[in-house]
Amino acid sequence: MKSEDRFDLPQGTLDLLIMRIVALGPIHGYAIAQRIQLMSREALQVQQGSLYPALHRLEYKKLLVAKWQPTETGREAKFYDLTARGRAYVKDETENWKRLTDVVGLILKGTVEGIS
Amino acid sequence: MSWLHRLFSRNQLERDLDKELRFHFETQVADKVRSGLSESEARRLTRLEFGGIDQVKEDCRESRGTMWVESLLQDIRYGARQLRRSPGFAIIAILSLTLGIGANTAIFTLLNAIMLRPLPVQNPGELLLFGDGSAHGSTQGVPDGSTRLFSYSFFHDFRQKNISFSGIAAVDSSQFATKASIAGAAYETTHVDLVSGSYFSVLGVPAVLGRTISESDDSAEGAGPVAVANYAWFQRHFNGDPSVLGKVIRIQSHDYTLVGVAKPGFFGITVGQSTDLWIPLSMERAFSRPGWNGLGNKLFQSLDLIGRLKPGVTPAQAGAETNLLFKRIIRSYLGTQPPQKHLDDLAHARIQLMPGGRGVSPLSFVFSLPLEILMTIVALVLLIACANIANMLLARGVARTREIAVRMALGASRGRIAFQLLTESALLALIGAAAGVALAWRASVLLLRMATPGPDPVPLDLTPDLRVLGFTLGVTFITSILFGTLPAFRAAGLEFTPALKEGRGSSSASARGVMARSLIVGQVALSVLLLVVAALFVRSLVHLSDVNTGFDKHNVLVFFLDSSTANLSHGTADEIRSVRLQEQIESSVQNIPGVQSDSFAFFTFNGGAWSDQALFLGVPRTPQNGDQVFFDIVDKGFFSTMGIPLVTGRTFTSQDQQNSPKVAVINETMARRFFPNTSPIGHRFSIGETPDHPGELEVIGVVRDAKVLTLDEGSQMAAYFPCTQSPGFYDNFAVRYAPGANKQEIISRVRRSIAETNPNILVNSISSLEEQVDRSIATQSLIAQLSTFFGILAVFLSCIGIYGLLSYSVARRTSELGIRLALGAQSRTLLWMILRESVFLLSIGLAIGIPVALTSTKVLKDLLYQLSPLDPTAIAIAIAAVACMTVAAAWIPARRATRINPVQALRTE
Repeated sequence: MKSEDRFDLPQGTLDLLIMRIVALGPIHGYAIAQRIQLMSREALQVQQGSLYPALHRLEYKKLLVAKWQPTETGREAKFYDLTARGRAYVKDETENWKRLTDVVGLILKGTVEGIS
Repeated sequence: MSWLHRLFSRNQLERDLDKELRFHFETQVADKVRSGLSESEARRLTRLEFGGIDQVKEDCRESRGTMWVESLLQDIRYGARQLRRSPGFAIIAILSLTLGIGANTAIFTLLNAIMLRPLPVQNPGELLLFGDGSAHGSTQGVPDGSTRLFSYSFFHDFRQKNISFSGIAAVDSSQFATKASIAGAAYETTHVDLVSGSYFSVLGVPAVLGRTISESDDSAEGAGPVAVANYAWFQRHFNGDPSVLGKVIRIQSHDYTLVGVAKPGFFGITVGQSTDLWIPLSMERAFSRPGWNGLGNKLFQSLDLIGRLKPGVTPAQAGAETNLLFKRIIRSYLGTQPPQKHLDDLAHARIQLMPGGRGVSPLSFVFSLPLEILMTIVALVLLIACANIANMLLARGVARTREIAVRMALGASRGRIAFQLLTESALLALIGAAAGVALAWRASVLLLRMATPGPDPVPLDLTPDLRVLGFTLGVTFITSILFGTLPAFRAAGLEFTPALKEGRGSSSASARGVMARSLIVGQVALSVLLLVVAALFVRSLVHLSDVNTGFDKHNVLVFFLDSSTANLSHGTADEIRSVRLQEQIESSVQNIPGVQSDSFAFFTFNGGAWSDQALFLGVPRTPQNGDQVFFDIVDKGFFSTMGIPLVTGRTFTSQDQQNSPKVAVINETMARRFFPNTSPIGHRFSIGETPDHPGELEVIGVVRDAKVLTLDEGSQMAAYFPCTQSPGFYDNFAVRYAPGANKQEIISRVRRSIAETNPNILVNSISSLEEQVDRSIATQSLIAQLSTFFGILAVFLSCIGIYGLLSYSVARRTSELGIRLALGAQSRTLLWMILRESVFLLSIGLAIGIPVALTSTKVLKDLLYQLSPLDPTAIAIAIAAVACMTVAAAWIPARRATRINPVQALRTE
């Protein structure tokens, strides 16, 4: 876990990442953090200080819905799931993101080639 | 979960948040333990990774979007606690705000009720009033100048021809109380309005029960003996029983069928008057009013007209069309060959269309200027109160330096602290406002009673409406900003480290001092302005009360009688019966012990007037004698009853009978204007600009001038006629009694005499002539009283300010003063040292306030009687009062400074 492998998330992407993870099925906050870390091959570590406010914000925006359920260990945890609106949001934002990264990638590549 | 839901389920949310984060924490610890760490090491690491759990919680709370409400509530709770901790400050601040805001609300309530509130009718904005609604009664002849009253014929012709209005309503302008009896019960005073058939439909006032007056009721003379009741009157008399429709109501000596009840809350179109019953104009002749001929005479103008604009027509277009039609219609009434004079008059005549949505407000003509001036006065008082509170808050700000520094050190932002301090101010203002509204509710009713004294209260709805509450809220907001902002920003702006170091800080004392001193200078300036105004009003009132009325107002009672149910005839030869009836009452009352003289009269002082021009045979018209002459019809005992002395000739006697030569008594002004050099006795004149019967009246006597309508009127020409020669029942009955006679005994015996002579003559009200005189200057005395009250209040508030400032500075300088005393300073020197400051502030305040007063009191010119707005006495009184009070307020802390015990003062250091 070297610090130079990590980087800060661009603004607004945390919401999309969370939603993407939640899209895989109901999940609690700790697991979301774990899953992001795992899926990003340890490159991304989400701080609790950003995760929970984001989760709550998404819940109040009615993109997520939360329910208290027991986990496999028997403890009660707050599980988040997508709402219909949340699903639409993930779809739209994922496409937007892809388009954006494609365009940014194109430009970056072009410039680099032009310079070299 | 909605925003409101989140706001109110705060505890649940907090529990969930805590549980969720604890789960995260425990799971993370468990994971670490599973990977081989010891329990305690796992906890330590997790805690490190987690950062401040409270910070996470705070961020989550922030995302709820309800934080500002919660912090506001917190601020309010904190503010309330702070206020409770210094009750002295809180009580003085709230009390001055209650008075300030309450006074503003009370005056605004009156202003709103009299001048602003729209009628409870459909779309009041579309209504236009013909003329300004300032005339009442009737006028005859060709209109010239601005026309306010209209004839029944004109109303009908105009209605048919105009294209600007979707409808026009007419209402008789002489609102008056008369007598009505329900189903044979006793007569009681009832306000009846004569209205056109279009009245209710044009105003858009529906019936809540039965129907309103319709066009068919008003289609021909006598067509509609029907009445529509006001809802409140209906409730009062029938308790809302719907079966009373169809009942017969006897108004005067005619029967009307009750056909409906108008919508609740509608009291007619006149502000300050409540109509009990509406009857159609077609019934006008059934009303006993001498000389009233509204239906027959095309130029008998007695109606107020109010029209509803068609959609899309502008008031200017309507005005142009109205004036065109007006001239054409009136011209058609003048015949084929009218005198040139009439055509000239008509050329000058015009109708001014005024916004009619607020109805007709006779009160607004009397009260608009006084109310505006009072509004300004109370606004200034509130400003002074604000300055005072700002000053106290500044002082508190210094005292709270430590508290604020500690809060800043704990991480509160400057904005947060300023906001919290502003919340405290707003809390003060709101408490003051709530108490102020309660105070204003009572006070405005009281003010109205003081302004319009008389037997019947003016029915004006003074319950605070949305507009009043909005005004108060606005005032409260502005107030709290005014007194709260400066101290809050100062308190929050100061650097906290030095403040912490110094303990009981004095670092900002000098800056605070400048601000506090400027506030005091402002207060002194405003106080002196308000006191000048008060002194002017009081002196003007004194002048008014000292006016020679020309009659002797002492020991005279005036009985106002109502003969409308006595079935006396009008306009016939039989009318002399009324005069005989009056003579019977007079001689019967004359026999009551203690009564010196008595007389019926058409008018007594301030009770209305009949005026016209007069022309003497053989005297050319001059500008001096062309003025209006006030006429009165009186009986033989009138001049001795009123105490108006005879100058030459004789007054009326029993020889002046119906068929003897017509005679008149004139006053000195009329005699002087027509006959500057000779005696008018024996000369003959007539009423009118170009009389029909020139010289029909012979002058038999000249009396001293007496005031007719108001105390401040100039010299007016007046003439008196005997009632035998202008027969009719005149309802003012004046009785002079011997000084020291039992007034109550006389009143009850006069009542008995009247009832014995004719039981159908009813006594409406009784007042003394003195009361009538006082009532005529009620507005002026109210203004004088209120401006004095507020002026004194203003000075008092300023004195509290000065006292506070100096007490504070003496307290701060205790040790310095102690050293001075110890070094041998004279106590007189110390006294002067402290007083000097207040004298300095006073001088600057006066230097600002007096020029402001000198330039601004000009607006009062019309309200002052024989007094210049620059009256030096008034200004001197104001300066003296402010100076004395200020020095007195400064004296107390200054005395305290000289009594300081040097040993004690130095020990505290």
